[in-house]
This record gives sequence, structure tokens and C-alpha cells, in this order.
Amino acid sequence: MWETIGNFFVDLFRLTNPLWLYWPLCAVVALVYKATKLDTPRRITLGALHFFASVTAGMFVLGVLFYLVSRFL
Amino acid sequence: MKSAARTQRNPLTALILGWIVPGGGHFYGGERGKGVLFFVLITGTILAGLVLGRGTSLLYGRLWNAAQFCGGGPAIALSFVSQYYSTRGQIDWADRLNEVGTLYTAVAGFLNLLVMMDAYVKLAYPRREEDKGDTDTGKQRAG
Repeated sequence: MWETIGNFFVDLFRLTNPLWLYWPLCAVVALVYKATKLDTPRRITLGALHFFASVTAGMFVLGVLFYLVSRFL
Repeated sequence: MKSAARTQRNPLTALILGWIVPGGGHFYGGERGKGVLFFVLITGTILAGLVLGRGTSLLYGRLWNAAQFCGGGPAIALSFVSQYYSTRGQIDWADRLNEVGTLYTAVAGFLNLLVMMDAYVKLAYPRREEDKGDTDTGKQRAG
């Protein structure tokens, strides 16, 4: 069972585009967007981290959903 | 005093400067730290895209070029580098890294558009100090 779960996540990242390449882009978008909205460096950093985490988590959930749809439907 | 100096700045000049040099509009408007931050982030993203695409990311296609054009001075200057690399051999359009690099340069262009508009709006419609709810000074006043 654990092997199946492990293979699931390995396939998820192996069969798609190299996702880590998009992380720096996501971080830049978060920083620039938050820097236009907020004024202090502390708030910009915290806002950008929150934005980055939200986008990454959201894309991961979408990836899992698409994978499940393509595999089982 | 700082906001009084800002109101004398021309928003259109900030918009044009922001296109020529990313972050130039904010630098001109008095937000020098943000200007430097935007310059580093946007120019760095264009450069990263060019490196990922092995020098050819700025020649992908017309719609992509429209987005990249918003990147302003650096994007136009680096498009000559792309032109040079494209003459050295066939571009592999199916290469995934080229695709990712092109996305980087296009997103950098859109980000510069956002930054240019931000610089313009901040000078054209300056907020009053008491309206600034998201700054530390605004919070202290409200409290």
C-alpha cells in the first residue's frame, strides 16, 4: 500500500513539466504584486509568503485532481 | 513634504520611465526602494527566461512578443541577443525549457505593465495619509 502511495506522488512529478522551474516565477509574481499593494518591507514579505504558499497549495490540489480524473475517468 | 513633492511629478513621465526601465516610474515618484526591487525582480525574470530558453525565448511568436514588449527596455535590448542566437542554428520549439523560458519573459512583461500602471495611478490619484489603512503609520493613527 505504501509503495502505491509513493508511486502516485513520484508519477505526479515525473510525468509532468518540471514543476520546480515555476516556483521562482511564482515567488516573483507574489513579491511584485504584494509590493504594489503594501508599503512596509515586513508586510510585503509576509504577504508574498502567504500568496506563494496559497498558489503552490492550490496548484498542487489542482494537479492531484487532474491526475485522478485522467487516471480513473 | 514628501507627498507634496510627489504631486508635482508627472504621472505620464512615470509611466514612460517605468516602461523604459522597470521600476523607473516608482524611482521617479520617490519610492526608490520599490523602484530598485521592481528593477531587480523584473529584469532578473527576463534574464532567467532568456537563460532557460538558451537565448531564444524572446522570439517565440506574435502573442508572446506582445506580452514581452511590455517588459520595456531590457526585453527589447535582450531580443537582439535572441536574434543572434536564432541565427546560430535551428530553434527547437518543442523544447520544454524554451517553453518555460518564454513563459518567464512573458510574465515579466505583464508584471512590468502592472508596475507601470501602479506608478501612474499613485501619482495621478495620490491617497491622503489618513486613507492609508495598510501602512504602519495609518494603523497607528487609526488606533
